[in-house]
Amino acid sequence: MMGFIILATFIGMLIIAFSAIIQKSLADSIILFMGVGLGSVVLFFVFNAPDVALTEAVIGAGISSLIFLMALKHLKAES
Amino acid sequence: MSIKRSLATTTISGFALSAAFVLTLLNLLLQNLPAHMHRAGDELLKLNADEGIANAVTTVVVYFRGFDTLGEIAVLFIASLGIGLMLGENERCEIKAESNFMLQTASRLLFPIITLYGIYVMVYGHLSPGGGFQGGVIIASGVLLLLISHKEYEVPHSLVVWLETFAGVAYVLIGLIGLLTLDVFLSNFLPHDIAQMGLLISGGIIPIIYILVGIKVGSEMSMIVQNLIKRQSNV
Repeated sequence: MMGFIILATFIGMLIIAFSAIIQKSLADSIILFMGVGLGSVVLFFVFNAPDVALTEAVIGAGISSLIFLMALKHLKAES
Repeated sequence: MSIKRSLATTTISGFALSAAFVLTLLNLLLQNLPAHMHRAGDELLKLNADEGIANAVTTVVVYFRGFDTLGEIAVLFIASLGIGLMLGENERCEIKAESNFMLQTASRLLFPIITLYGIYVMVYGHLSPGGGFQGGVIIASGVLLLLISHKEYEVPHSLVVWLETFAGVAYVLIGLIGLLTLDVFLSNFLPHDIAQMGLLISGGIIPIIYILVGIKVGSEMSMIVQNLIKRQSNV
């Protein structure tokens, strides 16, 4: 059962990551990248690393995508 | 100059991504390696009980690798300094979209809860998963909510400067006191009885150091978020 959950999370992360690559708009890519981060939160938690899961949820899915979005805003203001 | 990606970039990044995922999956499937291969830190973790800390990860991060944590905080400080130098001097950039009523009310409701949760994660870092880094960033995400909902809100700069200075200096001072008393930098000079393991006040200096780390990370991340949101780049 646990292996099924892990495999399903992996396949979901793969699908989300591929769709993040093929998106036309970069903002959509960043939102989907957050989705990949959330999938890895589930994996970390399943593999008995709740500390890393908390860090990934806060930093990987929260703050780093904010930094990406702000960098995108600054790039658009330039061009 | 418009932001576009060519086909080659998409293909290459697609291949790299799938290769990374397949390798990780293989690594997970090959878990029946010889037993000694995933037990690198067991000798170290046996020492964990001596410090009276319920969360072994905290002991590793703050005590066995306390000097590395000091270095990580310095790295974060330098990153915050660089962002402040690049963006801080420029003029305020107005957020064009007016935040609506629901966001403002919800942020007023949620900000105390987010801050309280951040402080909980910080203070209970030696008992449950979490700690200074995570708690500090949770508080910074509460500040982010306030920044995007209230246009006129600014992080109090002098308070942040004092908090950050206090936390950094206190970390080094605790390390130096340990050096003077027990001849090792960042040694645990406060009483840390193993009978107290699991209580809130246990583990000597380790919870104090993690709270200091949380204060420093929270103030630095708040300033990074404010500089990124409020300042216009002119590079």
